[in-house]
Amino acid sequence: MTITPNDPWYSCLPSCQTQVPCGQGRHTVRWEAGQLRLPEHPDAEAELVLAALGGEKAGCVVLAEAWGRHTSDLSVLAVGPRGPADEIVVSWQDVEEAAQAGQRGGAAAFSSSLRRPRLAVPPAAAAGHSARQRQIQQEMERAAERRNDMLSLLALGHGFAVRLAGQVAAAHADSADATARPALVAAITGRLALVAEQWLGIDPDQVLVSLHHGPGWGRAELTGKERGRRLRVSLPASWLARVWACGLALTGRHLVVAVDRAGWPDARVLALRAPGAEPVLLDVHARQSDGPDGTAGAPHWEV
Amino acid sequence: MNREGAETYLRLMAEAELRGPMAPVRRQPWAGPGGSIARLAAVAQALTAVRAIDHETVEDILADFDLAVSVRQRADRPAPNPLGAAGPRPGRLLFPPPGMLARRSMAAVLSSREPASAPQPGPGSGGPDRLVPVGLTVPYRDESLSGEMFLMAFAHTAAGARFTMVWQTHSRYDPDQGPVHPGVLPFGRFTVTDNRGGRYQLHLARSRGPEWAGDVSLRPEPPDDIRWLDISAPDGPVVRIELDPGGAEPPGGTEAAGDGAELPVTETKLSPGEHLLVMLAERLLTVAPEFPHDLRMQLAAISPGPLHTMATGMGDVIAALEAADVLSPLSPVPGRLAAVCAGMRVSGHGITAPPAQDLPEPWLSLLAHYQRRKPDTVTVRDGYAAVAAALPELDGIRLALLSLLNTDGGSWLQVLARGLEPETPRGPFGIDGHFPLSVWIRDSGGRWHACRPAGSHRHNGEDVLKLQLVPPLTRSTAWIEVLAAGPSAQVRVQLPLRWGYLH
Repeated sequence: MTITPNDPWYSCLPSCQTQVPCGQGRHTVRWEAGQLRLPEHPDAEAELVLAALGGEKAGCVVLAEAWGRHTSDLSVLAVGPRGPADEIVVSWQDVEEAAQAGQRGGAAAFSSSLRRPRLAVPPAAAAGHSARQRQIQQEMERAAERRNDMLSLLALGHGFAVRLAGQVAAAHADSADATARPALVAAITGRLALVAEQWLGIDPDQVLVSLHHGPGWGRAELTGKERGRRLRVSLPASWLARVWACGLALTGRHLVVAVDRAGWPDARVLALRAPGAEPVLLDVHARQSDGPDGTAGAPHWEV
Repeated sequence: MNREGAETYLRLMAEAELRGPMAPVRRQPWAGPGGSIARLAAVAQALTAVRAIDHETVEDILADFDLAVSVRQRADRPAPNPLGAAGPRPGRLLFPPPGMLARRSMAAVLSSREPASAPQPGPGSGGPDRLVPVGLTVPYRDESLSGEMFLMAFAHTAAGARFTMVWQTHSRYDPDQGPVHPGVLPFGRFTVTDNRGGRYQLHLARSRGPEWAGDVSLRPEPPDDIRWLDISAPDGPVVRIELDPGGAEPPGGTEAAGDGAELPVTETKLSPGEHLLVMLAERLLTVAPEFPHDLRMQLAAISPGPLHTMATGMGDVIAALEAADVLSPLSPVPGRLAAVCAGMRVSGHGITAPPAQDLPEPWLSLLAHYQRRKPDTVTVRDGYAAVAAALPELDGIRLALLSLLNTDGGSWLQVLARGLEPETPRGPFGIDGHFPLSVWIRDSGGRWHACRPAGSHRHNGEDVLKLQLVPPLTRSTAWIEVLAAGPSAQVRVQLPLRWGYLH
């Protein structure tokens, strides 16, 4: 069976929203139809211009910028949630403390820890040493910014983290960029392994994933016995966005391998009852439930 | 080499290790981050050492893993807050300020980027290296200090001219002040002249290793073709050092070897992964000096033994090297490594290959040494021998053997090396990535001694290294056979020795 979706990857996802610190209060941030929206900052671009002229940047706008920086960042897949039960709780106080720690000179302290005592340094070597120190400093600052971005995005809650992961996966799903393959294989493995544990009771370490290219949904087979047992699954990178991020991966005791007709709250999916079995089409219906951290936006699908 | 396979392996390993911090959700036990980080770091270092993955990618993977673990580890895990993540703070995260793994990896990246000072093509004027065994004693005495300087070898290469030496000083008793302790050798009071009347000064550049050993350079650099040097010590005789290869063989020395081209080089054809495992096995075999003497005596009797933690992740490293296509699944080396682990009573290594029977002779010799009930009971007599010999190039590295020294209960081989990469990050399990050769010495009694790097200093693209012999020589062996090996080739050379002794 060939699945060639024309609809956007997020068609099976409802909108979600949360409150974030902004100025002296809290503002709503909403995810809707693949976009992060700031209802209380209708002209965010104008605010950015003002910020560039020396004004203070609103917390919501800072967050939206961070979101924009990471919509194709594969690190989002490495850090973010592997499933609804994978509890990640980052509070806004954690984000604030991490940012303050960076400003207090965490980077400088790190950089000084790399300095090695030298008895005498010739001028040319000293210049090179200084350049290295600057390089270390710059890399430290970039690392701190990246870390603070990630913490902010995780602080939005499970629903947003899953949607961002879906957006990242979608950005790389059709890419011919071979450099993304290891991260995509790891990302699918980490998530599918937990799904397979629930589906078959198999040890997650026994799940082997490869990327499927070309027509069709891929394949899934169970080989070996006991400690040599392996679930070998080949799926396209788009599975992460279209199936897993939409909460469809395990629906009605079936492993969903593709979406045939996307929609919310009703969709039709292609699913396996068991490894090696022929996939079947299932009509599924969703209701929205809370994520593990209490935020809304984690769909629960039933046949 | 399969770089994609290497990166995929490391990322999948991080995924598997991350299931530990998710353990409360999955109702699985998790021992904490220590073992995960150790295994992950070992694999990352191994893949970096064989150049299957670059430092930047490793840094990204480890930084992501570090953050992923951090956001899943909380000191307390309260029930989900109905107000959501934007509500009151439910628990404290355990953030290591910037991640420890990222920090370590970053240090490795940056240190590896230090520009190398390119070695010059030859001594001063571009001629071939000059290595001359010396084996002469230069006594000295002044109003506060006396002793002897033992010159073992003279080396003149692109980095300059220097003597390898040891010295000793004698205390003096002053009736008014009591004992006067010896200080540093008064190099400034020595005078050096050559056969053309050129005058030089001696400058000490001591490296780690035996306290009273090092090398002294000649400044300014002498011409390539001087025939002899006279060294005049304070209140001592003038000692002439013949540098002409046609001159008489010096006392305490071997014949000089030229550029090593005449020595037979044999192919080894080790894959990069096999060579790394060989280095790993030799690291394991030579780790004993890092343990206190009393503990070392008990190594053979302790199970699982203090080496247990050192081996954590060896099985993962082997699997990673196979994934990177730098180690064949049919290679015999993992089985040999397993045999070394078994011989050293190291468990928990995770190597799936059964212990092999066909261990290299040097490894068997060292294992037999450890398995003796009292392996280190013979005191080494302090002494020195010149072993000036140049070895042919091995995988881009040229070694010149300069001296052999017994002192402080240990034995040391001093070598001059060209072609080493500066500031190379440490390999997995403490392997010295800076010196990627395997060097062994067989003594005249047939026992093998591994040579482990124990200090170096770099000058003009050359490294002077102290290699510590494990176990130390137990007698003044009449000759040594040196076996040096890289991934693609090895060379053997037998050198007669005549010892001088420290009093």
